[in-house]
Amino acid sequence: MSERPDYLPEHIREKLFHDPRVAEQDLRVDVKEHRVLLGGNVSSLQLRHTITEVAQELLPGYEIVNETTVVPTTEPEDAEPVS
Amino acid sequence: MIRIAAVGDLHYGEGSQGILKPGLEHLPDRADLLLLAGDLTRWGKPEEVQVLADELRGVPIPMIAVLGNHDYHCGREAEVRRVLEAAGVRVLEGEGTTVDVDGVRVAIAGTKGFGGGFRGAHGSDFGEPEMKAFVGHTKMLSDRLEKALLGLNAADLRIALLHYSPIEGTLEGERLEIYPFLGSYLMAEAVDNAGADLVLHGHAHHGSEKGRTPAGIPVRNVAQPLIRHAYNVYTLNGHRELLPAAAGGIT
Repeated sequence: MSERPDYLPEHIREKLFHDPRVAEQDLRVDVKEHRVLLGGNVSSLQLRHTITEVAQELLPGYEIVNETTVVPTTEPEDAEPVS
Repeated sequence: MIRIAAVGDLHYGEGSQGILKPGLEHLPDRADLLLLAGDLTRWGKPEEVQVLADELRGVPIPMIAVLGNHDYHCGREAEVRRVLEAAGVRVLEGEGTTVDVDGVRVAIAGTKGFGGGFRGAHGSDFGEPEMKAFVGHTKMLSDRLEKALLGLNAADLRIALLHYSPIEGTLEGERLEIYPFLGSYLMAEAVDNAGADLVLHGHAHHGSEKGRTPAGIPVRNVAQPLIRHAYNVYTLNGHRELLPAAAGGIT
């Protein structure tokens, strides 16, 4: 993997998307010094933890800061009349 | 009044057990149909969709789905479809189905759909074989959608169920650079040609919920990361307004 800082975040984003444990395209990845910031929406707390683990596997020695949000799946409040 | 519950982009995988089920508890009291707008799995594996199928099995209202791009990823979409159908979910691809809801015939035409872009900025099936294949796929699926909707013309209500978006309006919030990978106007044209009462799609997690086709048909983006509920419910007047000729109004 290229260590050039210009390309590293995109390589990590692509590898997370192509890891079957994650397969999440909507993640944001920023790398600053030896710190990886992850953002975006995830469907479960478990997936959130998995993303941290996989990112750590990809970049051992980096600090992983996972700021992803677990999307709620509560019932809707109202129906919308369309017609 | 017909109540349509819809959601897409659930992205189920191993460990997703129980994500949706609590939100489905009152679904049968709140909706007459559940429509699923694709990307039901992360990797397209039958084992992933089995987790979702186990949560949907026994839901006592008709359930109809299309698949999304994630559901095709590992080339096992036929198995994904079989798992859903074994749980009572009808899966559509370029075809339609009609459900009777208290005497109202509600028809759904479904396709995954595909990308290409929008009016004034759509790719063309020109040049490399890869480009021809890309746009050609969208054209084929849009043609099938139009034919499926036309074949359902006798229904009281018609709904187009897609994964990719037919309009730019429900993509607002997404980066412009990826619009061609999020949908195609060819699907809107198909819907406008054939007619429909509502179009539902997913795929655009950062888009907007509400829009209309150029002919004015309501479009709703029900990607779960966008609606942030287990599903949304849309109500439709159950009887299509009769044209004067059909109503015997022309003398």
